[in-house]
Amino acid sequence: MADFSWDVRSPLDRALVAGPYGVQGDAGVALTEIRNFDLIQVMARRGKAGETAKAAQARFGAAAPETPKTVATADATLIWSGPDQFLVLSKGGKHTMAALAPVFAGSASLSDQSHARALISISGDKARAMLAKLSSVDLHPDVFGVGAAAATSMDHTSVTLWRGDDRNGQAVFNLLVFATFAESLWHTILDSAAEYGATIGHSEDL
Amino acid sequence: MRIICPFCGERELGEFTYLGDAKPQRPAADAGEDAVYDYVYLRDNIAGVMSEHWYHGGGCRAWLKVTRNTLTHEISAVEPTAGAGAAKVGA
Ligand SMILES: [Zn+2]
Repeated sequence: MADFSWDVRSPLDRALVAGPYGVQGDAGVALTEIRNFDLIQVMARRGKAGETAKAAQARFGAAAPETPKTVATADATLIWSGPDQFLVLSKGGKHTMAALAPVFAGSASLSDQSHARALISISGDKARAMLAKLSSVDLHPDVFGVGAAAATSMDHTSVTLWRGDDRNGQAVFNLLVFATFAESLWHTILDSAAEYGATIGHSEDL
Repeated sequence: MRIICPFCGERELGEFTYLGDAKPQRPAADAGEDAVYDYVYLRDNIAGVMSEHWYHGGGCRAWLKVTRNTLTHEISAVEPTAGAGAAKVGA
């Protein structure tokens, strides 16, 4: 049998070219792919939403989101993804499938999405203008503040979108997209960002 | 057209998929062939207010029951169908 090994790499490994893109000068948009995260989907079983909420509270020391928003805990971000379901985003193996399975045994079904999604962080003073071309969700700070989340579609592709903590006084929008759609959406994002100038990179930090 | 998802808020039509009439109820297992035929195939072609199933596949992936006027597209009610999260929005 031929030697075979899995080469772990980002879904955007080929498409992402670090550096400037589009109009030259001060970049209006910063695009950063976040790599190597743990992402677990938690979905309450029928009639077990209350038990799931209790288990989440005990595990994370905070109530899981019940409306479209995120909840920041000491070492994870809980992101609403639909009724009675949320995503657990973390780093460093603290909240992996193996770690969470006993926590939600009997109350929720878990699904490991760590290698099934790409995570793109979007900031810069033209971030909202750029996203307005892709999303029909109103991202004005009056209605989409820090911690707001949305399960929505961009360019016919399902995404989970949420606003993280501001960085350097600017809004940060985070986007989870299915791995196999990531390259397609990435190119759409580049097209949308080109007129503002973009700076592109990747990071291991959430 | 926009639909106000009880879970997500107001969203554009492109995030939703239309299923059809929400009125037909699955007949009992011992119901006759005619009842099953009616349930599977026969639909009223309503000009006016109609109860419809819509799927928020481009968002929260919940099934919704939408009351819509087929003549004006006016939507008078959107409720979740029975299932995940329904209790939280009072259905
Ligand atoms: Zn929805």
